This record gives sequence, C-alpha cells and structure tokens, in this order.
Amino acid sequence: MQTLSHVEGGPKPASSQKPTVINSILVADCGTVFTKVSLFGLVEGQFRLMARGEAPTTAAPPQGDITKGIVQAIENIEFVTGRRFISQGHIITPEEADGDGVDIFITTISAGGPIRLMVLGAVSPALEELADQAVSGLYAETHPLAAPSYAAHSQPSASSGNTAAPQAANASPWTPERTALEWERQLERIREIQPQAALIVGLADGPAGPHPLQEACQLLLNMTKERAEKGVPQAGKRISVVYAGAPQYVEAVRHMLGNAAEVIRVEPLISQAQLGSTSTAINNLYNAEVIQRIPGYNTLQSWFSSTPVATATSLSSLVRFLAQHYAMNVTAVDVGGATTTVMFAGEQGEFMPVVHSGVGVGPNVGEILQQVGFQRIARWLPFDITEEELREYVLNCMLHPHVTPAQMRELQIAQAFAREAISVALEEGRRHKFAWPDTDLILATGGIFAHTARNGQAALILLDSLQPKGVTSLVLDRTMLVSQLGAVATVAPVAAVQVNENDAVTHRLGTCVIPFGNLPSGQVALRVGIEYHNGRQLSVDVMSGSIEVIPLRLNEQALLTLYPAPTVDVGLGPGERARAAEEIDGGLIGLIIDARGRPLVLPEERRERQARLLQWMQVLGG
Amino acid sequence: MTYLLGWSVIPQIVVRRERWPGGYKTRGTPLVYPGQEVQSDQPVIRLYKTEKVEALDTTPRLVLPSVSMPAGAGGGNRDYGYAGNGNGLAGDTVPAGLVGRVVDITGRGGVVIESRVAAVEGTLGAGNQVAGVLTMWRSHAVATAVIPPGAILVVPGPLNFTMLRQALSSGIVGIVASSISLRDLEGFLQTDLISLLNSEDMELAQAHLPPLTLLFTEGLGTIAMPARTVNLLSRYQGSVALLAGATSVRQGLFPELLISLPLKEVQRDWQPVQPETALEVDASVRICSGEHEGAIGEIEYLFSHEQVFASGIHARAARIRLEDGSRVVVPLTLLERIG
Repeated sequence: MQTLSHVEGGPKPASSQKPTVINSILVADCGTVFTKVSLFGLVEGQFRLMARGEAPTTAAPPQGDITKGIVQAIENIEFVTGRRFISQGHIITPEEADGDGVDIFITTISAGGPIRLMVLGAVSPALEELADQAVSGLYAETHPLAAPSYAAHSQPSASSGNTAAPQAANASPWTPERTALEWERQLERIREIQPQAALIVGLADGPAGPHPLQEACQLLLNMTKERAEKGVPQAGKRISVVYAGAPQYVEAVRHMLGNAAEVIRVEPLISQAQLGSTSTAINNLYNAEVIQRIPGYNTLQSWFSSTPVATATSLSSLVRFLAQHYAMNVTAVDVGGATTTVMFAGEQGEFMPVVHSGVGVGPNVGEILQQVGFQRIARWLPFDITEEELREYVLNCMLHPHVTPAQMRELQIAQAFAREAISVALEEGRRHKFAWPDTDLILATGGIFAHTARNGQAALILLDSLQPKGVTSLVLDRTMLVSQLGAVATVAPVAAVQVNENDAVTHRLGTCVIPFGNLPSGQVALRVGIEYHNGRQLSVDVMSGSIEVIPLRLNEQALLTLYPAPTVDVGLGPGERARAAEEIDGGLIGLIIDARGRPLVLPEERRERQARLLQWMQVLGG
Repeated sequence: MTYLLGWSVIPQIVVRRERWPGGYKTRGTPLVYPGQEVQSDQPVIRLYKTEKVEALDTTPRLVLPSVSMPAGAGGGNRDYGYAGNGNGLAGDTVPAGLVGRVVDITGRGGVVIESRVAAVEGTLGAGNQVAGVLTMWRSHAVATAVIPPGAILVVPGPLNFTMLRQALSSGIVGIVASSISLRDLEGFLQTDLISLLNSEDMELAQAHLPPLTLLFTEGLGTIAMPARTVNLLSRYQGSVALLAGATSVRQGLFPELLISLPLKEVQRDWQPVQPETALEVDASVRICSGEHEGAIGEIEYLFSHEQVFASGIHARAARIRLEDGSRVVVPLTLLERIG
C-alpha cells in the first residue's frame, strides 16, 4: 500500500475539506461483527440510496485495522456501480468529474465494545440509578462499588443485632476484619471488571462524611499499582475519572490521585437535572477510550469529513426527528451482534433510550442466555431442543459471530434470541423507571431484521417482544440505513431527510391492531370492518388467541372500523367501537390483527405451544 | 471466527510471544535479558513462591480531618500462593518453550521471545501457557499407551471426559485434540464455558481450572482433526512446543500451539508465510458451521448475486469443492480461509 501524500492525522489537503456542494455521500457503519457502507447520490434532484456493501469488521487480528473492512465493503459498491471510491487505500474525495469519489465520507461506530465504568464513592441506590440513567443512551456499562465506609454506615453490622433498614445514626461500625474483607472483595471485583474509567459520586454529607470519596481514590490507586505490577496493557496509562461528587473536595481528590488519574470535574450528581453534564463527560470518555483506540482509527480519521459518531447517537437523532417530523410516537429497535438498543421518542419531545451494550445476537448472545435462562429462549421455538444444543449454538455463535443461519432451525433459534434481547433491553428500561408508552410507529433495524428471510418473521419478533397495544405500524429497515442517517444529518440534513423518506422506511410491513384487556377465550375478540378504495368491504371475526392478516397491500389504504368484544379494548375503552378518522396504510404483509392478548402468555403445554407458534408463523407468512 | 494469525495452520511464521505460565497473582523474575538467544528448554523465568500486599500507610491521602483506615485495608496481609499449573511449582524455573531471541521483559516478569515457528490455532481451549514435548497419540488403548510426563499430547480425534481425567493423572501438561462435546468439556473444567469465554480477566477465570491445557482444533462436537493439521504435528513429534489454551471472546484470545522450527528448516532464504484472508477462487477454506461444519475444500466459484438457502435467507455465496470431490454451495460467512 502506497503512503499518503500527507501525514496521517496532520493537516488535510484542501481536497479533503468539506465541499460547498454535496452531490454524493458515503456512510460507513462499523458494527462489532459487520461493516455496512451506503452510497447516497442525487437522482432527479433527490438524494437516494444508490448502492450498499457489507463486509466483516476488521478491527481485530489478523487484519487489526478497521479501515480494511470499510475498504472491502466499498469494493462491493464499486463492483455494483462501476465507480471508484478507493485510491491507494484511501477515499477519493471530493467526487470527480467522471463520477469517481464522493463529496462526503462519514462514519458511525459501535465496534470496540462499551466503556466499562466503575461508580465509586458514596454510591446510594439513588445515585446508582442516576448513574445508570446518565449512560442509558451510551455504549457504557456501569459497575457500582460503594465505598466500604459508606457501606458500613448504610448497613448495620449483624453483631449489633440491628436488622432494621439503614439506620446510620444508630449503626455499629464494621469490625476491622469485615472492612478488610470488603476491601478485598472490591479489589477482586475491579479485577473482574477491568474498568476503563471511573465515576466518583457522593456529597460527603452523610454519616461517613468524605471518607467514601477518599476510599474511592484509594481503590483507584490500588488498581493502578496492581496493574503496574502485573504489567498489563493498561499499566502506565492514567485512568480517566469523572468527578461528580462534593465540589469542596475536588482538589483534594486530584491531589490524592496525582498522576494515576486524569480527573474531569462535572456538576455534582444529585438529581436528574445534572444528568446531562455527566452523560456528556462519559460520552467524551467513550470517544477517547474506545473509539479512538480502535485499530486503524488514525487512518480512518484522515478520511473523515466529520468526527465519527457513535451509532446509538446517530440512531437517536433519526428517531427523534421522525417523532417530531411526523408528529407521532416512535419506537426504534436495533438488535446487533453485541448491542441491543430500544429507543422511544414522543411527538412532544419525550425521549427514552436504552442501549444495552452487553446483549446481542452475535458475540454477546451468551449474555442473553445467562440472563434469561434456557426456558425463556426455548419457549419461542416450534420444535424440541435440549439445553445442551442451545448452549452449543450459543458457543458457536460466540466463536463464529459472522455466521449466517443457512438452516431454518438455526434461524429460528437466532430469532428467539432476538426476542429475548429486546425483552432484556425493555426490562433494563423499566429498571430506569421508563414507562414505555403506546407507540404509533415501530422501526426495526439491525442485522437480524435486515436479513430475515420473510417479513412475517420480523413482524412476529416485534409483536412478541415489544408487545404493543392498540394500533401501530411496523416498518423494517432492510437496508440498515436508519442508524446512519442521524450522522448524515449533521453534515447534510436535506440528504438525510430525502433518503429517509425515499429509501430507509420503505419496507412498511403494515398496520397492526392489537386488542387488549380481557379477551374471551374461545370466542371472537374483535370484528374488523375494512372498506377499500374500490368500495369493496370486508368483515373479519378474529378469535381470541389468534393472529389474522387482512389483505391490504403496500401503498394501498382503507377505512377501518373495529368492533371489540365487551371486555376487549382497542384504545378507547372496553367494548368501545373505533372507527379510524383517517385511512390506514397497508404494507408488505397487510393489516395484522394480533388478538393473542396482552401480556402475551404462551401455552404451558409444549406441543400446544409449538403448534400455536407454527400457526402464527404461517399466518404471517413466516 | 477469523484466525488471529490469518489461518488455522501456518507452516512458517515469525511470532513474538510473552512466555508467561499464568497463574493468578503469580510473580516471576526473568533469567534472561533482551537480545539474548534462548533455546526451548532453557529456563527463562523463576517464579515467586508467595506474595504479600504492602501496607497502605505509605500511600497518599486526602487533606482531610484524619481518618483511621482499618488495619489491612486494601488487601490485607494475606499471603497469595502461586496458582500455576503443571508447568512448574512456585520457586521453580520456567523453560522458554521456543527457540529464538528475547525482545522484551514485561512488568510481571514475563519474557517476550521472537521465534520462527509453525503455528496451529484452535477454535476453543482452556488453560495456561505450557511448554512440553509434542507427542502423537498413536493408540486409543489407554492402558498400554506410554505417555511421557510433561508432554503435550496430540490426539487426532475427539476427546471425552474419561480421556481427560486419565490425561490429568498421567502428568502431561497439555492436549491438542480435534473436538469434544460440551458436556464432557464443562464436566472436566467444572465451569460454565459461556462465562469462561466472556471473561474479562482470563487469569482470574482460569485460576480454578484443572492443571491441563487444552486446545481443540475443530471446537465442539465430534469432528476429526484435518489431515493437514495431523501431518504438520506428526512432522514435529518430539519437538518442544508452546501451548496456550486461553479462549476469550471479549479479549479476542484463542488457543494456539507454537513449534519453533528446527535450525535446518530456517534457511538463509527462509520466508515466512503471509496468510491471505480474502475469499477468492482456489482458496482453501473450512466450513465453520451448519450442515457441513468442519469440511475442508477449495473455492470453485464465487456467485455475483445472493443465493437463497434452506432458511430462506439470501446471502452472498460460494461453491466449494470438498476434499471428497463433492460440491456444496454455502454462504461466504460460513467460510474461514485456511490456506
């Protein structure tokens, strides 16, 4: 590979500066397992998706350079378009007269894993919750470790005989042996976590005073010393510390940590009002500790027209835009190899993101099994499976995350894991006290959805895991564009809007009607009346426990009237008839009526459950 | 999985590896220096027998009203015993395992050696790094087989729990085999393999494993070792090899066996193999999953358009001519280049 004409990372030549006129955009989304590249260009004055390519992400050895995977994906686009975008190992920019090159190159990244953050100091349950909320939309894992003195004052010792809830004023102090054990436990925990950064919290106004802050520093010093002794790769590097504790002790903390840590001061974390500054600081740490350390980042930086964006951040921008632009509540689901993201954006500006960095259907599929257990996975399968077979599937998936399920059995297992990945993310959101509201549009993206064999499979995954109620629409992002468009909007907002409308959200699966309440077993839950444009009318009785699909094609619309049973609700109250004020849209599947009930309860008996699962799959064309 | 060195078997390559026997809280003193040439049986590290934690009194404190820290805080005064495996007890020396040149000393006392080796990378393994004499397992009649203690045994077929227990009691330090069932492997290791592969701290995770290092070339199941791997290992029978079993998806660690090439093979014009990983026509590949898992063949044709498979999924694909002459069409994502 020939060298560049300028120093990597140094001043870029004029041709690399952002052009005043943008006619073409190349976007690379570097996931943990796959790198996806999309080419946008002008067609009849509108930005459209021209081509896309995909290749395995190459951050890990033997390639050890993330740009190689990007180049491979771009070569797919070169093959399709006949245009050249790579010259001497670098992006050709701006676009040339013969069509080679692009005006803008952007990258979104979710590869590299989450930043592992210890939460230290006076970590009360409330502060632990706040720390979790601060990182809920980021690729970050928090690991709380309350300082021994804080724990000692919060938990009365058993010898005192005081078994009541935390009674700091009356609690007997821990014995020295107990405290020593707690120190050792915390050091052991730090060895397990291998943290990349720390967040220190606490106002020093509790019974333990400033001691928790001191002990937080002590833990960090011990960790640094041990790393130096062990000669681990992080040895010699200063650990980054976000200090969100008592402001009067920030200099003392800096003094104590000395050269062992770089301390970043933010507003003391007391309530949700301070989440923003903590979140921003952690996001900056993520960029510095994770993204900028990805092998090949320096080369990638020389290609940029703008700073790379975390994929979750890009997705959140797009989701919030959709909610505001279309004045509707939007839920987006992104199930990746290592991360599962669920985001809700409301038309009033509400926004609830959950980025679960430890859970995915690729290398992190084992984490799903560890969290939910064998039964919760097996219940979604229309066939018998042993726990050993499932564990073997998980291990093979972890060792070979690129593998495409070529057999139906493997595909159904993968989709079962996708359901539980979404469920785990939703449960994480509920722990943050997110109350997931009803949603008008559900948008699904990620490899597992983009590569589903049939649209019905994707629809069923969403209905089973999200369990929406009332009336909603399902849209599938088969081209995996939505997580790129947020980043595109930062440099070319018009292009982002046009591609979104023309190409990103075009795989509309259909409108879903999900009655809820007390669905009478063995009886009609809902009668659906539909009136097509040509005047034809159709009436369908939907039995409780079933799914029905009423024909309503893509770009077709119809008037809908719902007649629920007396105890069944479709959004206006039990038994209340509902007639849509506007026509509803069709889709690739049609009008889906999911009368299985909410919450969804699968039959306990294995054969019956498997038969029902098969029946639902067949109805949806899965 | 993409092999860390590029291919699963590389007949000649230059590597740099830290010689470190592992062992939780182990410390060592290097016996060699950077630039020194070493032989495979030459001691390069002396291990510490115990370790004590320093008292905290010497560490800096916040400028605050005095706080009396509890005695032994920060780790206490416990002694930490050496928790290594059969490659040497505390106080013993650790052999290089490789022929080559010392290029660095690590903070924990490990020795980085550069060597020209034949390398075999496994799919799955467990256990700390060990050095031993490569010994081919010729017979499955355990009672009559003679296994030298301190050997690295090569079994060209699947292992089972009974064989592992026998190996453990025989004094060998490691086994290279083709595959094993999940149940047998977890039964022997007495650990959850999924948790083990997800570990952040491999030394901590492996601290309680049986002192026998394992490498499985094919992974889980009953797949036999490919002939090319068996042939390479047979060729170097009797040589000292370095075997590391640690497998961590989080850390991108995979098991490997390194055999320093004999002097006669390292000629003046010796060139290391440069593994090419691109999937192209005539490339040797292994099918890593699905109906033909473990099969080896050559890429005969790369389809321009996505093909449809039994699952209904569309994917870019290749036609593979297998070793038995049959042909199969598989998604590109199921292929690992091996030559």
